[in-house]
Amino acid sequence: MKISRRNVLKGLATAGVAATAASLPVAADAREGYQVQADDVGMLFDSTLCVGCRACQTACKVRNKLVTDTRETQGGVYDAPLDLNGNTKNVIKIAQDGSATTYMKMQCMHCVDPACISVCMAGALHKVAGGITAYNAATCVGCRYCQIGCPFNVPKYEWQKSLPIAEDPKIVKCELCRHDQRGPACCEVCPRGAVIYGKRADLLKEAQRRVKASPGKYAEDRVYGEIDGGGTNVFYLSPADVSFKALGLPTLPREPLPALSENVQHTTYTLGIAPIALFTALTVVQLRNRGKGEQGHKEEK
Amino acid sequence: MAAHVHERPLGGAILTPAFKFLLALCGVWVLLVLVRLVWGLNGPFGYDTLLGVSAQSDGYAWGIWKPLNVVTFTGISAGAFAIGLLTYGFNKGEYHPLVRSAVMAGAMGYTLGGTSIMIDLGRYWNLWVIFVPSWLNWNSVLLEIALCVLAYTLVLWVEVAPSILEKLQASATPATAARAKGILGGLKKVMPFVISLAILLPTMHQSSLGGLFMVAHTKTHPYWHTGWLPALFLMTCLTMGFGAVVVIENLTTIAWGKKLDQALLARVSVVPAYILVAYIVIRVADVFWRFRDPVILARFESMGSPLFYGAFFLLELVLFGVAAAMLFNRKLRENRGTLFGAGLLLLFSGALYRFDTYLVAYQPGAGWKYFPTPLEILFSITLAAIGVTVYVLFVKLFPILSGVEATTAPGGQKSAASH
Ligand code: SF4
Ligand code: SF4
Ligand code: SF4
Repeated sequence: MKISRRNVLKGLATAGVAATAASLPVAADAREGYQVQADDVGMLFDSTLCVGCRACQTACKVRNKLVTDTRETQGGVYDAPLDLNGNTKNVIKIAQDGSATTYMKMQCMHCVDPACISVCMAGALHKVAGGITAYNAATCVGCRYCQIGCPFNVPKYEWQKSLPIAEDPKIVKCELCRHDQRGPACCEVCPRGAVIYGKRADLLKEAQRRVKASPGKYAEDRVYGEIDGGGTNVFYLSPADVSFKALGLPTLPREPLPALSENVQHTTYTLGIAPIALFTALTVVQLRNRGKGEQGHKEEK
Repeated sequence: MAAHVHERPLGGAILTPAFKFLLALCGVWVLLVLVRLVWGLNGPFGYDTLLGVSAQSDGYAWGIWKPLNVVTFTGISAGAFAIGLLTYGFNKGEYHPLVRSAVMAGAMGYTLGGTSIMIDLGRYWNLWVIFVPSWLNWNSVLLEIALCVLAYTLVLWVEVAPSILEKLQASATPATAARAKGILGGLKKVMPFVISLAILLPTMHQSSLGGLFMVAHTKTHPYWHTGWLPALFLMTCLTMGFGAVVVIENLTTIAWGKKLDQALLARVSVVPAYILVAYIVIRVADVFWRFRDPVILARFESMGSPLFYGAFFLLELVLFGVAAAMLFNRKLRENRGTLFGAGLLLLFSGALYRFDTYLVAYQPGAGWKYFPTPLEILFSITLAAIGVTVYVLFVKLFPILSGVEATTAPGGQKSAASH
């Protein structure tokens, strides 16, 4: 009986050690994750150029056939979304840092190694050519884990819809206008060139050129999205007096956000070793005890 | 060692006034589900109204549905896991009298938790996709939970089956009796494998329930966000499970005057005390360890309200600590009242830790607020009522509770016990 008990402890220990070992930061490079591809596309938003005209906001709605999010103000009715929502894939907000203000364009960042894809059960969110984070409602169960996982709070859900007839609720987010040959409407209409579309590599070069050309002009003298959270395909430049955080861009670790949870999953469940070990140990213990004469406390007759 | 007590059905009238009240609550639940299905998760009036079916929003996408209906309910249901681990894994057969009741409660808790997830899915008709292996994303912690919880719910009902079969075997027509006996014989052969699954599966998904928030580094307050989330959730699910066993044994005794084996409960209750000590040590050491990292400190600062978060963090530790202290004290443990209190504390502290991780610690970004609407709370209450209803029905009809006097249970239970 002592031996069998030790068996169980061993099984439990295997699973426990695997789970805890995985949670240590040492294992942080055990997974591969998504990498930047040569033909990845993206956008560059330079907040110092944006004048807040919201042309991109409107163009996005038109190209994506999104309903207006109206608000009545003193007799007038405006399409005035306050944030990204089930009808809005792109929004212009004012960012305040102390007394300084600037404009912020918010849409999906098309992360290089996205948390939303890591958490999605059956690939409703997935990468397509160009490094675009795309959505496929056909395999989406509406669990909304993507909303929890995305560090930028991008995926939105159509809360007012319900039944699977015609108007079934979906996750709504920018897909870089991949359904339209013309590409991103927002970049096309921007009168100031504040947001531009292109290859990720080119955009990064351009952004870095701007930072280098005018030291002290941009926040932290750097491009947001180059490395943040493993990098994004949409880059941001913010004026020096408005921090990225004030702009609405969180301070992210260097490694991709899914690394921690995926490492724990991988280490614990690789080839099912830990679960099978535990299962076997438990079964062996029971069979042994059962065989060992039922004279003691019998559980079954 | 206490003599082995056989489980017996409680018997007695089923349609008592209390039971009718429970049935009415079940009816309310059905209505709420219908409203949700027709008008969506927020109901016809939107999430920010008093009449909202749920206050879930793009900010708080899970509201109380996951932390309460799934994570807390299945935590309470972990009595089956905790007692099963002890009885079979560590071969402590003397705890066997506690098994059936815990398994029955577990089967109900998991069925309800699973039902609640499905109702909460925005596109539930697509759920079949999680059975198409080639589409699956094994990195998703939620996928592991979904499959594992489904499998475990089935396993729990297989574990409940012998109670039903024993009854059938004893009292039905000869043909049915023979068939029941056959199935029972087969079940007994595979039981060790079923029981191993019944310990393996909750080990996997109860830890994953903590793992869900590992991906949300920047949105979960650093007091709670750690790589240890899976281990901590696993430990507290066990302590909740033991608490649930103590509480349910006491409640069924109060309700139906069955015999309570206080000595047995007192003995088993030392186990969660040790788990809690380990938990507290890991929890505190982990926070100290992580807070040496300037990145974590910066995140702590930027999330603000240090007093608010600190208060919840300390409250958790104090509750866990008090529960452990009570259970280590022999006198308190052996007293029925204080042990009952400690059991409740085990449930409450574990539930608080779950709520803190899922809601208090969660910051989706500026401007989002969440407080459950009255209907949302009613949904959870009526969901729990369904669990109680089915549990009551089953313990009255089938041999599940131990310590039931033979005289209170008319019918052929004697023959069930003498096979
Ligand atoms: S910003 Fe959010 S939704 Fe967009 S790719 Fe990144 S994680 Fe996914
Ligand atoms: S809501 Fe849909 S897209 Fe989002 S994680 Fe769930 S299944 Fe994936
Ligand atoms: S790329 Fe298209 S969908 Fe995305 S913000 Fe621009 S216009 Fe909208």
